[in-house]
Amino acid sequence: MKPELLDPIEWESIIESIDREFGQGITKKLLGKLTPMALVDRNWRNIYLIPTSWMNMLFEEPPKGFDYHLIGKQLGVMTKDRFRLSLQILPDLAQMTSKILTVSKRGAESFTYGRSILKESVVYLDFNLLRNQRVLVMDTDFHCLGIASLALDANRVGRLKPDDLVGKNLVDIGWFIRRLG
Amino acid sequence: MSRKELRQKAKTIAKEYEYLPYMIERYLALWGEEETLQFIEACEQPIKTSIRLNTLRIEPEKVIASLQKKKVDLEKIPWLTHGYYADFEGRSTPGAFLEHMLGYYYVQGVPSMTTVEVLDPQPDETVLDLAAAPGGKTTHIAQQMQNTGKVLAIEMDRQRLASLESNILRCGVTNALILRGDAKKVEKLGFEPDRILLDVPCSGEGLIPLDPTRKTSKSMADIRFCATREDELLDAAVNVLAPGGTIVYSTCSIAPEENEYIVDDILKRHPEMKVVPIPLDFGTPGYSEPFGVSLDESLKLSKRFLPHLHGSEGFFICKMIKEESA
Repeated sequence: MKPELLDPIEWESIIESIDREFGQGITKKLLGKLTPMALVDRNWRNIYLIPTSWMNMLFEEPPKGFDYHLIGKQLGVMTKDRFRLSLQILPDLAQMTSKILTVSKRGAESFTYGRSILKESVVYLDFNLLRNQRVLVMDTDFHCLGIASLALDANRVGRLKPDDLVGKNLVDIGWFIRRLG
Repeated sequence: MSRKELRQKAKTIAKEYEYLPYMIERYLALWGEEETLQFIEACEQPIKTSIRLNTLRIEPEKVIASLQKKKVDLEKIPWLTHGYYADFEGRSTPGAFLEHMLGYYYVQGVPSMTTVEVLDPQPDETVLDLAAAPGGKTTHIAQQMQNTGKVLAIEMDRQRLASLESNILRCGVTNALILRGDAKKVEKLGFEPDRILLDVPCSGEGLIPLDPTRKTSKSMADIRFCATREDELLDAAVNVLAPGGTIVYSTCSIAPEENEYIVDDILKRHPEMKVVPIPLDFGTPGYSEPFGVSLDESLKLSKRFLPHLHGSEGFFICKMIKEESA
């Protein structure tokens, strides 16, 4: 895959996407002293954060027969319609955001098997969060397990039955294992 | 024992234990009958599961406490900084634990962990990991370097790239670059790495305790084929190594043809390369006269893991430096 610098419009759209979901200024904190760069595939662009000292090396055409597949810290993937955060960045993000859904031990296990979150598994959810909000899913030991999308406004969760859906699983750390079969 | 007697003995043992006769013939020539039988017996025993605690993700004490709470029995491996034998007591596969998904540990063989400890990568260096998938050693190198400098991980196989990438992401490695390509052409990359790890694709003759099909799946021609490729890869690696740099050559084969013979050839062709002592207390010395063939004496400084002596899979590790004057 070919390394490319991000144009300002694309980078702004990524900042907007992350900050809108997880809080103003979060992307800048995630970036730190690193530089965003893309590895371009046919249908998507993998966005990485790299030390500036790597840039010269990556701008040079890779030698014939070699092809970059990963460079530095993976921030996420830009597909045609939206930006999706990488699992690799979630532990960093968990230290910075309050958009968190805490689940029980049983809910955590179920979530890492790719399932969504039911009312009975919810331990804590900020009352002010709205439907479709992306939240980091954490267990009670503050391990970050993935990302979910709220199926309803948080202030309505109290009215649900135990087996009603609260958060739709978007990505979870069980993917590392499932991906490899 | 005459050649004819040795062949006959090998044939009998091979038939009894379901090996190909050429393998037993070589073991008898290398070790004698008693040790050969010990080797065969050891290969029937399971290898203890071992894990490496990943300090890039969590403090070791926390993951130890967390696993012990789940009744996983841990025993420190003396010469490894973060290596433990782990008895999961059959409750679940080690890969299915939450701590594994979180990247808090990596399930890794003792010899593989040892290889990286022997390489001893330092923060801010440039390190090349040739034939890197599935990423156990790449992630270990990054851990030793505390995610500084850069690790260039080269892998040719497209499918194995997926496991390499997955493990790098899971373990929180941020100083790696994965390049798909032929490690034999590494000179084209234009890097002069401080250290190189070449855990080369081999015949896997040391893996019989883990994969009994290896008793019959490879011929002597396969070993020769692997040896040719190993020689080419090591030659390519030596050519790009920075003066004063360190290279660790390793295989999961016990065949001298893939180990000591390869290094001996390299020492002859590259006088700037020297085998150096490994300052860790494990294994047994490499061979300097396997099958009666005299090789460079310094090969005794390399190390071997053998199932019957160390309770692990068979493995070979050799550490070399490229002299500055070169």
